[in-house]
Amino acid sequence: MTGRERIEARIQGRPVDSLPLMPITMMFAADSIGVPYREYATDHRALAAAQLETAAKFDFDYVSVISDPAREASDLGAKIQWFDNQPPAIVESEALLSDKSSLARLRLPDMGGGRMLDRIEGVRLLARQTGASRIVEGWVEGPCAMAADLRGLNTLMLDLYDDEGFIIDLFEFAMAMEIEFARAQARAGATLIGIGDAAASLIGPRFYERFAQPYEQKMIRAIRGMGVPVRLHICGNTRKILAGMGKTGADIIDLDFLAPLGEGRAAMGESQILLGNMDPVRALRDGTPESVFQRLEECYTEAGPRYIAGAGCEVPRGTPHENVMAMTRFARGRN
Amino acid sequence: MADLAQLRDAIINGNAKAAAAVVDAAIAEGAEPMALIHGYMIPAMDEVGRRFECEEYFVPELLLSARAMKAALAPLRPLLTSSGVPPAGKVLIGTVKGDLHDIGKNLVSSLLEGGGFEVVDLGSDVSPRKFVEAAQSTGADIIALSALLTVTMPSMKYTIEALKEVGLRDKVKVIIGGAPVTQQYADQIGADGYSENATLAVALARRLMSGARQATA
Repeated sequence: MTGRERIEARIQGRPVDSLPLMPITMMFAADSIGVPYREYATDHRALAAAQLETAAKFDFDYVSVISDPAREASDLGAKIQWFDNQPPAIVESEALLSDKSSLARLRLPDMGGGRMLDRIEGVRLLARQTGASRIVEGWVEGPCAMAADLRGLNTLMLDLYDDEGFIIDLFEFAMAMEIEFARAQARAGATLIGIGDAAASLIGPRFYERFAQPYEQKMIRAIRGMGVPVRLHICGNTRKILAGMGKTGADIIDLDFLAPLGEGRAAMGESQILLGNMDPVRALRDGTPESVFQRLEECYTEAGPRYIAGAGCEVPRGTPHENVMAMTRFARGRN
Repeated sequence: MADLAQLRDAIINGNAKAAAAVVDAAIAEGAEPMALIHGYMIPAMDEVGRRFECEEYFVPELLLSARAMKAALAPLRPLLTSSGVPPAGKVLIGTVKGDLHDIGKNLVSSLLEGGGFEVVDLGSDVSPRKFVEAAQSTGADIIALSALLTVTMPSMKYTIEALKEVGLRDKVKVIIGGAPVTQQYADQIGADGYSENATLAVALARRLMSGARQATA
């Protein structure tokens, strides 16, 4: 099976020849071809080259255009701080929506020449270069993450209590934008869309069920309606929102290491595909090939058959290559 | 008479207006600031920390309570300054150079303040030099360093080295935290402590201050 066939078979419930393998790589990938991360995040040709090289070396079943959370915010005019060799960051102290009334004047970006276009072009290039051999994953911010990008994470947390109407307007804006961004990536050749909604792990089950989950669900329904499956990744501790995540309709739920896969399975049922979730730093980067192999075995046992191998979050920069290779060895030896 | 139980409840429930109103009323009736802080406000924030720790509270609730705590502290500060009552300790806190992620740092900062510490928050993307300068100018007891990114963690080590270079390392405790940070890393760079979450960071700071007081006694 090709990587794409393997992932698609897993999603569709058909037999696979070995476990699909989908670890997130960003700085690890950039380092592997020696490009500074700023170049990786600003030039889709560098990103594509690094993803292809990494996927080939470790036999990953997919390539991805995930790079940083600042692409959409950047095109909307948010202030971004750039670093030579790490991801750009949104400057929260000068958040685009530090004045809430600015939301009414905010228009969806045209995706015609900024960082969102660079991502779309990244998808197009990867699709052309991988053909049918691997899944090409597009990437968008989830509604809660995007709201935090625009309003500032700290402020958004208080808005949840202070101004429900603003939260709804903001999430509506974020959702509408991300659906269009996902559509553009699907048209460019993405065969999977990843949604990253990190901030959703901070708000607790009440606000997750009330605000984040319904918008995630609507986004996922819209993207699946384009004929593209969806992976939902929420960084952080999601133990209290697992059941809600399982009801979003995402084809793949990608858990960070703080939420045990066994709890995910219990909350979401047997049919949900789970991905993850060893501790990227302590288990993967600081482990040994033997301990990584063993930890992945434990993850697989916890998750059960509807499983895709990966780490809890991004494979950290500086992870020994033999540790990543241990993930590959494990995945290829199981089905 | 001001109902001081309401002060505790207002902070736990994140009601800033109610918290400030009770404090104002209590001051007007001649209440001792330290009695309000130690009898009601710090216990309230300890309870908030406990609820956060056992996942009854999440980040919005913690920040809401921190806002209420700040509102209650505001009218007390001038009284404390004039009475010369010392805080539990002075903490310099910041997210290290190259890192703009500050939510974890803010949670620790809020709980430390709620725990009776004087907190000087240097913000995010703070260079080792800036930490050193602030330590020199404030006479801080503890420096708390936060990082979310593995790539910015080395700045914790550089900050400790910078403190050594100016002869301050023995005069200040350094504690570190953040998602990729581990006890092993703290040991490796010679930090005085590591905490895996915000509530334990307050306990760690109290322990270090208590140790420092015993050492100087």
